[in-house]
Amino acid sequence: MRSIISKLVGSVRSLLADPVRMFGLVSVVLVLLLAVAPAKDHFSEWHHYQQQYRRLIAKRSDAATLQRHFVGGVRQVWLPQVGVVDRCESCHSGLTEASLTDVPQPFRTHPPIPHGLDEFGCVICHRGQGAATTVAEAHDSKLAHQEPILPARFVESSCGQCHHAALMGTPKLNRGREMLARYGCVRCHTVKLPDGSTMTATDDPPPLTHIADKTSREWIYAWLKDPKSYAGSATMPNFHLSDDDARDISAFLIAASTPQPEDTATLPAAALKAAADPSGGASLYGESFCASCHAMQNAAGDLTGGNVGPELTRIGTKVKPEWLVGWLRDPRHYDEKTQMPRYRWTDQQVALLAGFLENKTDSDLLSNVQLAPATAAQIKHGRSLVIEYGCAACHEIPGIKRPENFAPELSRVGSKPLEQIVFADDVPHTLPDYLAGKLREPRAFGPGLRMPDYGFSHTQLEALTTALLSLTDRSFTLPQSLQVATTAASSYVPAGHAGKLMMEMNCQACHRINGRGGDMAPDLSWEGSSVQRAWLDDFLKNPNTLRPALIRRMPRFNMTDAERAELTDYIMTVYQSPVLDRDTPLTSSPELIDKGRQLFYSKYACQSCHIVDAQRDKGYIGPPLTQVGSRLTAVWIEHWLQNPQALRPGTLEPNQKIPEDEAQALTAFLMAQRGGRATGTSKQEAKR
Amino acid sequence: MASRLDNTIARIEQTRLWRSIFRSGTGNSTLHRAMAIQQNIFLHILPTKVRRRMLDLSATWYLGTLTLGTFVLLVVTGILLMLYYHPSVPQAYTDVTDLRFVVSSGLFLRNLHRWSAHAMVLLAFAHLFRVFYRGAYRPPREFNWVIGVVLLLITLLLSYTGYLLPWDQLAFWAITVGSNISSAVPLMGDKVRFLLLGGHQVNANALLRFYVLHTVILPLSAVFFIAIHFWRIRKDGGLYVRQSDPLRKSAAQGEAAEESVAAGAGKEEA
Repeated sequence: MRSIISKLVGSVRSLLADPVRMFGLVSVVLVLLLAVAPAKDHFSEWHHYQQQYRRLIAKRSDAATLQRHFVGGVRQVWLPQVGVVDRCESCHSGLTEASLTDVPQPFRTHPPIPHGLDEFGCVICHRGQGAATTVAEAHDSKLAHQEPILPARFVESSCGQCHHAALMGTPKLNRGREMLARYGCVRCHTVKLPDGSTMTATDDPPPLTHIADKTSREWIYAWLKDPKSYAGSATMPNFHLSDDDARDISAFLIAASTPQPEDTATLPAAALKAAADPSGGASLYGESFCASCHAMQNAAGDLTGGNVGPELTRIGTKVKPEWLVGWLRDPRHYDEKTQMPRYRWTDQQVALLAGFLENKTDSDLLSNVQLAPATAAQIKHGRSLVIEYGCAACHEIPGIKRPENFAPELSRVGSKPLEQIVFADDVPHTLPDYLAGKLREPRAFGPGLRMPDYGFSHTQLEALTTALLSLTDRSFTLPQSLQVATTAASSYVPAGHAGKLMMEMNCQACHRINGRGGDMAPDLSWEGSSVQRAWLDDFLKNPNTLRPALIRRMPRFNMTDAERAELTDYIMTVYQSPVLDRDTPLTSSPELIDKGRQLFYSKYACQSCHIVDAQRDKGYIGPPLTQVGSRLTAVWIEHWLQNPQALRPGTLEPNQKIPEDEAQALTAFLMAQRGGRATGTSKQEAKR
Repeated sequence: MASRLDNTIARIEQTRLWRSIFRSGTGNSTLHRAMAIQQNIFLHILPTKVRRRMLDLSATWYLGTLTLGTFVLLVVTGILLMLYYHPSVPQAYTDVTDLRFVVSSGLFLRNLHRWSAHAMVLLAFAHLFRVFYRGAYRPPREFNWVIGVVLLLITLLLSYTGYLLPWDQLAFWAITVGSNISSAVPLMGDKVRFLLLGGHQVNANALLRFYVLHTVILPLSAVFFIAIHFWRIRKDGGLYVRQSDPLRKSAAQGEAAEESVAAGAGKEEA
């Protein structure tokens, strides 16, 4: 053993002693070292994956096709105008192979999307470092300035970088964006969009100018302490105020409120007496379709109704009776921007409804609230708290200016660099986790934070996080040609005397007209071209639903005959389409009607969604057409059949590209449906 | 065979072209040897006389030469890297990722540059320590010691400026911290920082400044000081060798012969 070692040592020594041998040795070592470079290139990760892929496709039945498609080497998508260099396809070899759905990653085919992979690359949607060809660097590089890969559940956010209007395929993103507006996030946080516009809130925080007319200081206190205890659906967040702070703010709000004599009213005794029947209120509430906008808990504890107005489950505990009467008579006295229409109820009806609502109480809510009369110091402290918490960002408060830039701007929060974030202890260091964590517990990220607690559910958090992640740097730097703008906000207000009437009834709370208004009811921009005058007049008198399957219906506004005539004339004259002449005569003949019937029932199978013959047809998706001949104009039907979306964008009716002659026949057939005369009488039609 | 080769070589050495380039050529006389060194641009920086002991590993551990070697390697790989690198803000990082992930042997090139840089800092320090503990900084070499310290500083600055160029998170924060340190200098700290970064923050200006420092100003000053350094070695009597080394008695005996060796004297060795 020892001899071997000494021999080895001896030979090494002789090797080192001779300069020529030494030179040879060093050269060999150098060559070996240099060989490392090409070897490292050869045994790279992507090479390994491509070999795996080739083995995988060789075993498949469609091997020949797949092998023909396969191109080896570093594969990249290079799009200089959008700043994309993505080499993901070097490992994800089967991205465009539709048949590779059952193979493990990284070889699986990409789910179908509306864009080509070579159009936008991968990183624009998935983030990560596209230029890298190793998994660790591509998916979660720590050194790169680019973000790590985005968890798949937030991937909708990436669509929102270009698409600023709602998309069919991105429900989560749409919901998150709605919430940003609905919960008033954008009242404190500015969100600028790439087209230069600013996101606006869609919530409706009431002005507090005359709050003392409406409610008591005790209720304000209870509401401030926990809005959800009054109404589970409250959008007002919880500021986690101490008892003293809530006491002082309520003191200040009551003290700052100015009385407005028109806010409150008392009813004549006769009306009260006539409204003694307690069940009348509930049925009036139903008949007026209050539930289209207001929610209320039913006996089972489920919340039913719309979310345009506030929840009314405990309204009797909140409002003062005189105020309620004044409000029901004319809401605009108290709040001129309210969405609530003026219903023109009679005194007796107001008394019925007020009596019904006043009984909606919750004795527990205010039972523990005992407030001593406010002192000047408390009021002063309350005022400073109102300024500190930015209450005036949402509510109009006398003597307090709306704060500008109250909270950090969020226009590019989706690209916020991680090094600028102070993470809470148990939050993983990623942007989505930070955003969700911040929304879940807004004050967990440091002392002195003022953002209130919204009590969002898990799905709400995910939706909001998705919406926030869509607000990226890239959405500003992408070429303008890629931006799909949201429809420009319109400030259309109907003009004239009839316009005033429409504002009073708040038609645009539900109907969209010329780009402005709600989406609860049909767009009325071209209503004058669409319907016949007699039908409209009749409908305004007694709004009979067009779609019996829906819960939300148009309420009756109790207009006088003169008002109704004025409104009908206005709609028929002003809201016309520039391309349709509603007086175009109808081409009709018995043969044409017959041909139309054939087309309706066999070629286009319209009865799957519509009803013409109430006894035979079972279609409930679209409105029934039994009386369509006395409702719509012929020219409207004809154009509608040829392209429904051109007349009403987003309508569900499929565009079947019906040719003109067939549309004419169908129109003739439909115009013959005048409530029974053409198809035989059903019960429903007989009523009408 | 061998004599024929020798004849050919001898004939080539007689040609006018050869003589015009190599002038006196090598010869056996001391004058010839000295002239061979003096008249060659590459060799003239060396002393005309080198003691054999100076070339022993134990004399210097070749630390200075190795430092020069890494510097040459850095210049060569640096120039190659410059073929790929743009000192602009979005591009710098992508160029480095390209080098890492797609350029053939780009990773090797970059790593060669990086490891050479590390090695150069290490070797420069080792060289200085060696010189210090050997006492080689003493007169007449005290000026060359100062030049050496300047070269060390240039080496460190090269290392520091090069660190920003990949423009990744590590680089960004390292330079942010580093430039904040410079602002701690009394009175003019903030001015120094501003001058270094071309602004108040590490951004595009800082990247450009660091690039110019790293690829032009510092390497040129390094070459300048290296030239002085080498020239001083020659003027100060060659590499420092201890006059009496108890460990190397045999070498000391050999010294008596005062054998002078030309630097490229492989012939003689053979």
